[in-house]
Amino acid sequence: MNRSVFFDSINVPTPEESIYRRLGYRKGKTQLTPQQKRDIDYYIEDALSFINLKGAGVSISIQEKKLSGIILSTGIIFESVHLSAFLEGCWEIVLMGATAGGDIIEAIREDSAENNLTRAVVFDATASEIVDASLDWIMNYFNQELRRENKRLTPERFSAGYHDFLLENQKIIYDILQLQRIGIKINENFILTPEKSVTAVAGVVQVRKGEY
Amino acid sequence: MNIKNKIINLLKRRVLILDGATGTELQKRGIPQGVCPEMWCIENPRVIQAVHSDYQKSGADVVYTCTFGANCFKLGQYDVSNIGEVNRQLARLAKDAVGEKAMVAGDIGPTGQFVKPFGNIEFDEAVEVFKEQVRGLLEGGVDLFVIETMMDIQEARAALIAVKEITDAFVMVTMTFEEAGRTLNGTDPISALITLQSLGADAVGCNCSTGPEGMLEYIAAMKPYAKVPLVAKPNAGIPKLVDNETVFDMQPVEFASFGKEYVSAGVNILGGCCGTLPAHIHELKKEIRKEKPRAPIRKSISALSSARNFIVLEKDKPLCIVGERINPTGKKALQQELLDGKISLIRQMTKEQKRDGAGLLDVNVGVPGIDEVKAMHDVISLLSTITDLPLVIDSSNVKAIETALRLYPGRALINSISGEEEKLRKLLPIAAKYGAMFILLPLTGKEIPATAEKRKEIVKSVFKEAGRFGFTKDDIVVDGLVMTVASDSMAALETLKTIEWCSHKFRCNTIVGLTNVSFGMPQRKWINATFLAMAQASGLTLAIANPSSEELMNIKMAADVLMQKDKDASLFISYFSEISHADEVNMKTEKPPPEQKVFQAVLEGNREEINDFAKEALSSGTSADSLVQDIMIPAIIKVGDLFDKKEYFLPQLIASAEAMQKGLEYIDPYLRKDVSAQEKKVVVLLATVKGDIHDIGKNIVSLMLKNHGFNVIDLGKDVPAEKIIEEIKQVKPAIVGLSALMTTTMVNMKDVIELAREEELDCKFIAGGAVVSKSFARSIGAEYAKDGVGAVRLARKLSTEGLVRSKR
Repeated sequence: MNRSVFFDSINVPTPEESIYRRLGYRKGKTQLTPQQKRDIDYYIEDALSFINLKGAGVSISIQEKKLSGIILSTGIIFESVHLSAFLEGCWEIVLMGATAGGDIIEAIREDSAENNLTRAVVFDATASEIVDASLDWIMNYFNQELRRENKRLTPERFSAGYHDFLLENQKIIYDILQLQRIGIKINENFILTPEKSVTAVAGVVQVRKGEY
Repeated sequence: MNIKNKIINLLKRRVLILDGATGTELQKRGIPQGVCPEMWCIENPRVIQAVHSDYQKSGADVVYTCTFGANCFKLGQYDVSNIGEVNRQLARLAKDAVGEKAMVAGDIGPTGQFVKPFGNIEFDEAVEVFKEQVRGLLEGGVDLFVIETMMDIQEARAALIAVKEITDAFVMVTMTFEEAGRTLNGTDPISALITLQSLGADAVGCNCSTGPEGMLEYIAAMKPYAKVPLVAKPNAGIPKLVDNETVFDMQPVEFASFGKEYVSAGVNILGGCCGTLPAHIHELKKEIRKEKPRAPIRKSISALSSARNFIVLEKDKPLCIVGERINPTGKKALQQELLDGKISLIRQMTKEQKRDGAGLLDVNVGVPGIDEVKAMHDVISLLSTITDLPLVIDSSNVKAIETALRLYPGRALINSISGEEEKLRKLLPIAAKYGAMFILLPLTGKEIPATAEKRKEIVKSVFKEAGRFGFTKDDIVVDGLVMTVASDSMAALETLKTIEWCSHKFRCNTIVGLTNVSFGMPQRKWINATFLAMAQASGLTLAIANPSSEELMNIKMAADVLMQKDKDASLFISYFSEISHADEVNMKTEKPPPEQKVFQAVLEGNREEINDFAKEALSSGTSADSLVQDIMIPAIIKVGDLFDKKEYFLPQLIASAEAMQKGLEYIDPYLRKDVSAQEKKVVVLLATVKGDIHDIGKNIVSLMLKNHGFNVIDLGKDVPAEKIIEEIKQVKPAIVGLSALMTTTMVNMKDVIELAREEELDCKFIAGGAVVSKSFARSIGAEYAKDGVGAVRLARKLSTEGLVRSKR
């Protein structure tokens, strides 16, 4: 297993389109007054000032693959038929985690309690989308690192809680990545806090020899 | 002649040619997948030497050592710990391979770790990691250094400082920019150039990530700001996915065909990155061998940068406001926050100052009793990550300034260096080492020079001293020294004379701290604003001020137009357009009758004005009951319809619901009090089930139900089944709404319903949440609501059908 990389301040372009889409905006259908647009953009900008994007990632080789799951070089077993299928052709994985931090969650809580649910909802969508974008950013980082080794990441990623990859695997990922170092906690139900925190797995694909 | 001078002289005559990709060549020559390239080359010296030699024979003036990953973090992955020796051996192999026919650049690549403030590696630790590599490469006899493929400006800075603290050798730094024209960490080419050339890089540029076409625009963008030669090392085209595999397919002749465009765009050093072979370099050399390079345009540049932005201080640009608020003087809350090591106020001030129009941020953390060095370190770390505005380091503590400059991932402005001998002796070398600009304070002792003449003499004397450290007039900003007119009526005029002389005769940038001019006077804002306009007319470049001051900003914007610094007045028009727009809106909304305004306020989610409109409607004779029944309820129903048709989206729905709620609260005291009606309000109990902490959806449902007259009791999130049952028994709700966001927690809804049935509680259940489906809801014995509007409809349906009972 390689050394985990920690990103204490991830900077991603604001995924404005995704935020609007998440909130239900439909191009050509939804009608916004200029004032409403200004308000929402202002909330998005405000949300950004509460978000402290942090992340971590590590690459680990796969020791053995079975139909029912994979065994990592560290001896850790991920049991999941779907994950195993997702990692077809991969002999290495990248585990990653990211968080928007606690300040934005506190701001959402305060806004919800103080009758500013509109802002809370925009904050919530902004935090969700930006954390997702931060995983793209982490994948981009690993792709740059892997390029020199003639490798690249699978374009998609897989998360604990999907299909048969049980949520309890999130605890294993949490421990490997030492996510407590970027302020994330995990509870007995394997849920991460602060709320806008995520983990994921991507596969490493070997590019054919001689192509770089 | 030493090698550095030789390179500098060569660059005046022609474009230097660099080698191409090493990895591609090693693969062709048998390096197995998954091995450590550096160690494999040491074990197979003839192979790497042949690669170097082939590049040299193809026309490369410079070959890179195969040490891209030869740092302790990368080699540590292969359990290699003799970093210096690995670098020494690989440098030696390169030297032996090319002899005197080409120069050898010691190649330093990224560590794979992120450096503070963007990662968890201490900045000085990163510097030491690179120094280990630099020493080995020097021992191996490299002629120059290249820091390449950097995606983080802070890591590039650490590597550059490592080289500069050990040797005076020629050093190039190339960053890797993504398709959007920024590094992964968000740095654009010009900001990177300004930061790195001021820090002492002898050449700056880009490599990897893109083909020659894409990289050309970065070189063209950098050239107008470059005082050093520019470097480009593009890939052999853009990687393409063919049969799910990555391929670089640009052939040598096509690759080389971009050569002349590169020279014309201003490149001085050119080679190839991923996918390029000796044949690419051969063709490139052939293509541009007769081309004359364009020398750097500038000898110096008055520019500041952050990790993600830059500002060029030029006389024909609008006045730049330096936000003054991050300064604890006279601010008790900020003082306490700094002493407690907290950051929320600084975060807020940063956001507000940028929003209000600041172009730079002054940072002062001087509080009695504080560890200023640590506080400065922490605040600079924070600001480097949360704002793209370049910073002004405001301190009288030399160590604090040095700490800030070493850490800051940009080019900062020091506030300030005066003519005091000790200040000059200590601060000029530090400013020079880190390439900072500085504010020249025309003071030599405690006494303030009263006249412009005396100030000019000090400016000339300090500048002469600064010149010994390589500073030019572009690197300094003279403080006009603003004194109060209340005690000296000539004070303002002397400052203006100083500014005028600096701008037009001495030709350097100027700055003033505005507010001192009006100290002790009434209505200070008018004196400040007028003085600002006069200073702008005298040629002022920067003003330290509070950008939230409307008078100041309005005057600044107007003066920029009048001084032809906002040439087509576009900034002025944009600045004032919002105010005009608001006036228009106000004029329009004054026309309709008050009931219509209330309707419109609900429809548009106008929470700010709904109560005023409701008051107006009530005053005009509309009854409270009619306002609710005939105006507000139809309005919120229309909002629901618009939401269903997707003409409204979630923020609009909620804003309307909140406006409705606010209006209802206002009108409530005026409504006829029908006790039985109150009692008949249908009670809805809401909870996000155990294990789930995501409750924003449930909060929306709560608000919507309240809007429609339901009596909502919200138990919050992560609520155990037992607690919900206990509440059902106590408040006897007609409907219980359960929510969950995750597949793992939605099953807990079933427990609640089963428990309720066991206890023979006859309330109805509504289930909702991102992963909940209609079939799942049915399977656990609940009705399904897709969203807030759906929940309201369902609750009304259940109510009207008599399926639920009212509160007894």
